[in-house]
Amino acid sequence: MTALAEAAALATAPARPLVALRGLAKRFGGLTAVHPLDLEIAAGDFCAILGPSGCGKSTLLRMIAGFAEPSAGRVEIGGRDVTRLGPETRPTNMVFQSYGLFPHLTVGQNVGFGLALRRTPVAQTAGRVAEALRLVRLEGFEERPIDALSGGQQQRVALARALILRPQVLLLDEPLAALDLKLRQAMQEELRRIHREIGGTFVFVTHDQTEAFALANRIVVMNAGRIEQAGAPEQVYREPASLFVAGFVGEANVLAGRREGGVVALDAGLRFPAAGPDGPVCAVLRPERVRRSALGVEGRIVELVFLGDALRATAELASGETLRLREPDGRGAASFRIGDAVRLAWDPGDLRVFEAER
Amino acid sequence: MTGRPALLLAPALIVVAAALLVPLALLFVVSFWTVRSFRLQPDLSLAAWVRFVESYGGLTLYTLGIAALIAAICVALGFACAYALRFRAGRHADALLTAMLISLFGGYLVKVYAWKTILGADGILNGALSRLGLIEAPLPWLLYSRTAVVVTLTHFLLPLAVLPIYAALRNVSAESVEAARDLGASRAAVLRRVLLPQCRLGVFAAFAFCFLLAAGDYVTPLLLGGAGGSMLGQFIALEFSTRFNWPAGAAMAFGLLFASLGALALVWAALARATRP
Repeated sequence: MTALAEAAALATAPARPLVALRGLAKRFGGLTAVHPLDLEIAAGDFCAILGPSGCGKSTLLRMIAGFAEPSAGRVEIGGRDVTRLGPETRPTNMVFQSYGLFPHLTVGQNVGFGLALRRTPVAQTAGRVAEALRLVRLEGFEERPIDALSGGQQQRVALARALILRPQVLLLDEPLAALDLKLRQAMQEELRRIHREIGGTFVFVTHDQTEAFALANRIVVMNAGRIEQAGAPEQVYREPASLFVAGFVGEANVLAGRREGGVVALDAGLRFPAAGPDGPVCAVLRPERVRRSALGVEGRIVELVFLGDALRATAELASGETLRLREPDGRGAASFRIGDAVRLAWDPGDLRVFEAER
Repeated sequence: MTGRPALLLAPALIVVAAALLVPLALLFVVSFWTVRSFRLQPDLSLAAWVRFVESYGGLTLYTLGIAALIAAICVALGFACAYALRFRAGRHADALLTAMLISLFGGYLVKVYAWKTILGADGILNGALSRLGLIEAPLPWLLYSRTAVVVTLTHFLLPLAVLPIYAALRNVSAESVEAARDLGASRAAVLRRVLLPQCRLGVFAAFAFCFLLAAGDYVTPLLLGGAGGSMLGQFIALEFSTRFNWPAGAAMAFGLLFASLGALALVWAALARATRP
């Protein structure tokens, strides 16, 4: 093959994923924490593994890091099978939930720990520690003891300590869970900036969907040890693959109905075509997609919540179901009263139909 | 408020001072006295000290060596045990720790005689080995030997090593251990760079407990040590009881005490050096 053809083949070949999980599973005794699953994460991704507590997301991360041994399947990083390697030999580094800093060492010694283990020359270590601390905006903190730092600063030290080794993949286990809201938002911004600056691959675990959306360009939703959906945030939000994803990611109205001959009839009183097998179905509708319209279904406002930037109203429909709607503030907050009769409508294209869970 | 802590400490301090420091000071003074026809004579003589150094210097070093060996074994086993309790045992840790405490209160002489039946010429170990055809005659070095003293004192002192190390490991977060592994540390590096520096005091306390108790013990070597396993404590006891030579006994006791403290200072320095970041 000529060099040109080789280059062409490289360019057209599908990008090889940096991290590939193949049939990866974990059982603890009789309990299955992670069912066999496949997942690929591309280089440069900022990937969120999102799910409720106990869904197996932390176990999955620990298997990538090498702390949990898979019961089945493989972990590949950069095309290399690392399933049997311990955490100390994997090209990954981790930021732990409660940071796991070394309290007997200074900030500089914490950050330089990995380099010290590799017997890096002192002068070089000092330079890279300073560089890593600059990246997390803790310039000049080298000599401080760990217990003199605030929670947010400790988080940054943990980040610098993991990043200084230039891992192929940075893993973060609920990185912001221990911080209060303001600090969390500030750290989200920091993480985005750092990801941009170093162009690395970040994988983080969270139960907080706003955090996942704020940070990630790719979201993996897990439930009960399985991946429910993996995709871009917009896709996960707009086209949830399952009822669970629709309910877990963002707010969702769930309307019951039946499908017969490719037509769905909602109990709330609306018919629209949607292909699929006959039987009971659930239709999911985002609150911001609900409009007030003279042609809509009848309802009565039972709850109003002013959210500052938006107004959230809950209407009870004739079917007995409740429907939440969300309107940007100022567009009619004053016109709503509890007890008002309203007519609500939506574009059938905004409905996602799932077969009802029995 | 400032006077309160001192007030609260006072009763305990008074008890310690009256029951320990005063008698010790008196005994130290006695080490410079002399004995004439079984009567203590107040004096300012170094005779007892000279005799200690000349006659018992070698035995003191040997005693400290045996004690250091026992303490080192106890700390090594105790560390492994405490580590398992802290990081591996999970919810069973409390039950295991209680069992260990119960064994600690199980009586010292009982343990000594238990080992006598295990290690004796017609004991369990020799019996089992000869029935298996592995030995012809009972192993002579099992009982009435250095080995018997080391084994018995290690068994007796082990819980005293586990407890302070476990207490220290309680303050070490599991995540910091995992973080070290994640950053590339081998198990040995985790021990040296993360675990030991964080529980240095606990390890030292464990070593000191075992070392001091082993160095001062005179019952185990008397009952199990035989001729080769004698330790200084036996001779100190002899000076006080049979020979009624209190100055000699006092000088030997304080000589052993000072030598032990010196040895512990060396151990502390070595530990600090080994765990320097």
